[in-house]
Amino acid sequence: MKLPFIDRIWRVKGLLPLETPMSPATAFDRLDPLFQTNGTSYEIDGDTLTFRKHNPAAQDRLATFTRGTLTVGEREGRSVLAYNVTSPALLACFLAPLLFVALGQVNVAIGEYEKSKAEAAEQAGKADDESKKDDEADKDVKLHWLDVAMGAPAPEKPDEKDKEKDKYEKYSPKTAYILAAIFATLYLVGRILEPWLLRSIFRKKLYDTPPIDDMDPAERLSRE
Amino acid sequence: MNGVRVGKRIIGADAPVTVGWENIGRVEGGPAKQIFFTYFQPTVLFAVLAFWYYAPNSIAVASTAIMIGIAFKLFLLGLEWVNPRYDSWRLTWKEFATDLFYVGLGYTLLRMVDNYIGDGVMIEAIQSSFDWDKFAWFTGLPLLVQALLISLIFEFGQYWMHRGMHNWYPLWLTHAPHHYITQLNINKGAVGNPIELFLIGLGIGGFFDFIPRAFLLAGAIGLTVGVYQHINVRFNSPRWWRFLFNTTEHHSVHHSQDYEATRSNYGASWIIFDRLFGTCVDGEAELLGMEGGRRMPINETMTFPFTEGYKSIKSRIKDRREPPTAIPAE
Repeated sequence: MKLPFIDRIWRVKGLLPLETPMSPATAFDRLDPLFQTNGTSYEIDGDTLTFRKHNPAAQDRLATFTRGTLTVGEREGRSVLAYNVTSPALLACFLAPLLFVALGQVNVAIGEYEKSKAEAAEQAGKADDESKKDDEADKDVKLHWLDVAMGAPAPEKPDEKDKEKDKYEKYSPKTAYILAAIFATLYLVGRILEPWLLRSIFRKKLYDTPPIDDMDPAERLSRE
Repeated sequence: MNGVRVGKRIIGADAPVTVGWENIGRVEGGPAKQIFFTYFQPTVLFAVLAFWYYAPNSIAVASTAIMIGIAFKLFLLGLEWVNPRYDSWRLTWKEFATDLFYVGLGYTLLRMVDNYIGDGVMIEAIQSSFDWDKFAWFTGLPLLVQALLISLIFEFGQYWMHRGMHNWYPLWLTHAPHHYITQLNINKGAVGNPIELFLIGLGIGGFFDFIPRAFLLAGAIGLTVGVYQHINVRFNSPRWWRFLFNTTEHHSVHHSQDYEATRSNYGASWIIFDRLFGTCVDGEAELLGMEGGRRMPINETMTFPFTEGYKSIKSRIKDRREPPTAIPAE
């Protein structure tokens, strides 16, 4: 199924021009360590390498992109690596905010149900056992003399209004919404960071000399 | 692999485990770095205790504790970056997102369930059916003593629940997914099947009455000590700290790929119950997990207790139905 725009959510495509002319066999040979990991299967068909990783280890360099094809060819007289990889992890992260918004809504619905149940019980004239119990628990509590001497603040009786507010605070969707926002941000970070890291991994493996940023400082200075 | 004898057990026969404090790694770097990573843990513990002890009532509330918790964890994530214990445990984007998913479930789904069947609800039901009031024995004690009692009572329950999980198969089924983590990072404590996280969160502290501030102080101990169970930071924890508290080193042994080592260091914040009941192993391990370090995906983590439980029930029934194989007499 072709989903040209939507698939950008989980698919990353790119072209990496190589420094020196390179045959597909040499390029795949250099990339080989990336595929010699647990749960990885791959096949090479001429200039194309197709790989699949099943549940890769946490430190697998391609853990985020578990399926894809790499093609080595020539464009405008230069060897290039074309990659087309997909990431179920990016898709899951993209969908995670929906899950947390849904959980937030479920919590709100539970809160509404509990509130209406409590109101119905109140209207029916049932005594609110809970508030009675709370009142009993709110007897004066005094600090130990040592704490008084050391200057710890004395405990206060909670305000009745606060208590009523707190009773339904646990049904607030705020936490779930914050989590949804965190995952939305995390998706954006991942969608930018992970393709950048992938490109950098390929570059490190395929360049004869590492890019200046990846070098040992002493070596970098001597080159500059 | 020969392993090392610790008491009656051989630790490290299946997978590498470093045993003994004298053999574990130390912080590498200049004097400033050494001082920072030696005194950071106790300094933060005492600073947070002092904060909760003296904070005005308007500030000494649960929401402040949550904010401090989040800020502290963010800072520790930075420390993981600066001074990792092992490079092989470095946090990647995917690991961070996965861990955060479990944290998110803990803050949402698990809390919804807790509202109905959590320890608070259970204790209230027990108290009302026996017409018990809370045991108000402790409210007259000094605040720090109350906090210590809350922490130790909860810890005692956690120790036995955790030990039970490693010794009784139905409980193990819920806990096993947590042992498939292959590295320790700040949020790894939340990784696991929600049933396990629900069970390990059960405590009997609700039977007793304490001053609210004492709960905040106990929470501070949990935050500034328990957080180091799962963390990829190398500390030179002081000797007294390692004697009293559960450290990353202890917990890495518990998570190692060595079977016998996993049956040690069951504590959460404190290690003293392990010392008391003979399950403590002082040491550390880098290679973690089960099945040689297979990483369990989220969907399997969610279904594992049910699928594995079903498989074992099925095989037990099959074993009972099949007639025993006759052994030929010699």
